Amino acid sequence: MSAYLDLLMFAALIAAIISGFPVAFSIAGVAVIFGYLGWAVGAMDITLLGAFSQRVFGLISNQVLIAIPLFIFMGALLDKSCVAEELLDTMGRTFGQLRGGLGIAVVLVGALLAASTGIVGATVVAMGLIALPTMLRNGYDPKVASGIVCTAGTLGQIIPPSTLLIILADVMSNAYQQAQYQQGKFAVEALSVGQFFAAALVPGLVLVGLYLLYIVGRGVVRPLDMPPASATGRVRAGEVMRAVVPPIVLIFAVLGSILGGVATPTEAASVGAIGAMLLASLRQPRYRKTILMGAVVLILLAVAAGVFPVRLQRSDLTGIEWLVGAGYIGLAIVASGAVVVGLGNLLRAGIIQQAVTSTMTMTTMIFATILAAGMFSLVFVGLGGEERVAYWLANLPGEAMGALVVTMLIVFLLGFFLDFVEISVIVLPVVVPSLIVLGVDPLWLGILLAINLQTSFLTPPFGFSLFYLRGAAPKEVTTGQIYQGIVPFIVLQVVGMSLIWLLPGLATWLPRVIF
Amino acid sequence: MLKYLATAINLAIHLANCLDTINRWLAAGLRWLVLAMALIQFASVIGRYVFGVNYIAVQESVLYLHASLFMLAAGYTLLVDKHVRVDIFYAKARPSIRRRIDIIGHCTLLLPSMAALMWWSWPSVHNSWKILEGALAVGGIEAVFLLKSLIPAFCVLVMMQSVAILLRLLAHRDQSRDQSRD
Repeated sequence: MSAYLDLLMFAALIAAIISGFPVAFSIAGVAVIFGYLGWAVGAMDITLLGAFSQRVFGLISNQVLIAIPLFIFMGALLDKSCVAEELLDTMGRTFGQLRGGLGIAVVLVGALLAASTGIVGATVVAMGLIALPTMLRNGYDPKVASGIVCTAGTLGQIIPPSTLLIILADVMSNAYQQAQYQQGKFAVEALSVGQFFAAALVPGLVLVGLYLLYIVGRGVVRPLDMPPASATGRVRAGEVMRAVVPPIVLIFAVLGSILGGVATPTEAASVGAIGAMLLASLRQPRYRKTILMGAVVLILLAVAAGVFPVRLQRSDLTGIEWLVGAGYIGLAIVASGAVVVGLGNLLRAGIIQQAVTSTMTMTTMIFATILAAGMFSLVFVGLGGEERVAYWLANLPGEAMGALVVTMLIVFLLGFFLDFVEISVIVLPVVVPSLIVLGVDPLWLGILLAINLQTSFLTPPFGFSLFYLRGAAPKEVTTGQIYQGIVPFIVLQVVGMSLIWLLPGLATWLPRVIF
Repeated sequence: MLKYLATAINLAIHLANCLDTINRWLAAGLRWLVLAMALIQFASVIGRYVFGVNYIAVQESVLYLHASLFMLAAGYTLLVDKHVRVDIFYAKARPSIRRRIDIIGHCTLLLPSMAALMWWSWPSVHNSWKILEGALAVGGIEAVFLLKSLIPAFCVLVMMQSVAILLRLLAHRDQSRDQSRD
C-alpha cells in the first residue's frame, strides 16, 4: 500500500480538483495530506516539508515570471477600454464582404490577443460573448460559428507573447537544466522565454494558416454556412487606421523586441502595458492631441536611442553626447507628461481601476496555483513518484519515441481535467527531464506539448473550451452543435501537430537562427 | 435556546464580515501595485535603453511589488471567488451539494495546507529576521527578510478568509455563496 502512495496521491489530486474546490488549494491540500500520510506509514521523511519555504521563495524571487502580470495588465487594458472589441468589429467589417470573412477576422483577432491569455477559459468566454452573437446575427451556421470561436479562443495560448508560454518556458528550462545535471554535464545551458517565443511562432502561424484555409475553403464549398455581411457596414480606411493598426503595431513591437533579443520579456511587457494605456486613453474624449503627441515622442525616442545611444553612466562623455542626452531628457519629460494625462483620462473613466483589479485577481490565481504545485511536487518526489515515472519512461518500447508518444497521450487525457498552468507546473517537471535525457529536443517538445494541450481543450466531451463556450453562448446554440462544430478543427489540429512532429525544424529553426 | 443560537449566528456573521473587510481594504490598496509595477518597469526601460542608466535596486523594486501583489492579494481573491475552479460538476450541482463541497474543502484541504505551509516555513522566516537577511543580488534592496515574511502573511490572510467563508457557509444553511461576491 505504502509503495503506491505516489499514485494514490495523483488520483486524489484529480478527485479534489474535479470536486470544484478552488484548484490551488486542492493541490496544496492533497500535498500536505499525503505528506503526513507518507510519514505515518514510514514512506517519507516529514522534515522534507521544511523545503516548502525554499520552493515558495523560489517563486517569489523568480525574475522571469514578472512579465506575467504586466502582459495580463496589457490585455486587461485593451479589453476594458473596448480596444479589443473595436478591433474585432472593424476586422469583421473589413473582411465581411468575403464569404467566411467574419470567421477569418475572429481567428486573426484570437491570434493577436494572445498576450492576455491567463487561463484558457477567459479568452474563450470573451470571444464567445463578443464574436459568437455577431456571427449568428450575420446568418452563420451555429456549428461553424461555435467551432471558430472555440478554436480562436484557444489559439492565443500557443502564439507568443502568451503568458502560458512564459510559464511553459520557465518549467522547460528548469527541466532542461535538471536533465543536464543527470547527464553529468557541468556547464549547464538554460533556455530563455525568447527562445520559446521564437519556437512557437512558426507552428502558431502554421495553425492560423490551416484555419484560414479551412474557413475560406468551406465558404466556397458550402456558401450558405458563412454568408458575407450585408454591405451596409462597409469600413472606411480611416476606421481601419484607428482601430486596427495601433494594437497590431503595439503587439508586433512587443514581440519583435523580445524575438530580436533587444529586451527581456518583462521589459517588453511593460512597454506593452504603457502602450496599451496610451491606446486606451485615446478612446476617451479629452486630451487626444496631447496623448497622441506623447506616443509619437516615445516612438521618436525609441528610434533615436537606437540610432544614437548615449550612456550617461560612462565617465568619458563628450560635449555632444551631453547635449543629445539633454535633448532625450526633454523628450522623456514630454512623454511622461502624456502618460500622466492619459492615466488621468483612464482614471476618470474608471478603466484603470477595473484593469488593475482584474489583473490582480488573475495574477494571484495563477501564482497561487504555481505555489501549490511546488508543494505538491516536493511531496510527490518525496514519495518516490518521480523515480517511478522516470523508470517507466526509460523502459517503454521504442525508446525516446515510445516515451514521447505515451507522454503526449497522458498529457492529452490530463487536459480534460487540468488547465494549462496546472499541467505545466505539476506534470511536466516530472516527465520532461526523462524525455530530454532520452534525447528529445526541449524546444520542439515544449511546442508539441502546447499544441497537444490546446487540442485536448477542444476535444469533446470534456474539453475545457467547449465547456466555457457553453457557459457564454446564447441559449439557441445547442451543446450538440458545439460538439459537431469543433470536429473539423480537431482534425486541423492533428494535421498541424503531425506537421510539427514530422518537421521538427518548424519549431527549432527560428530560435536557432536568431539566438 | 433558540435565542442563543440566533445570537451565535449573528456573531459569526459579524466576525465573517470583519474578516472580509480586512482583505477588501488590503486589496483596494494592493491593486495599485500593478500600475506601479508597469510604470517603474517602463521608467527603467527608458533609463536603460535611452540613457544607458541601470540600477539593480529599481529592477528589484519591481520584483518586490510583484511578490507582494500575488502573495497578499490571495485572501481577497478567495473572497471574490476568483481562484479558478474546475466546475464541470460543481456548476451543475445543487446549492446544498456545493455548500458541502466547500465546507469539506475548506476544512480538509485549505486550512490544513496553509497551516502546514506556515509551520514548516516558519524556521526559515524566523532565521531571516534574526540576521535581517540582506539583498538578493549585490546592489539590490536589502530586505529579503521582508520578502520571506510574505509566506506567513499569505498563509494568515488566506486562512482568515477561509474562516470567514466557513462561518458564513455554516451560518446560512440555504443561502448560496453569492452573498460574498463583489
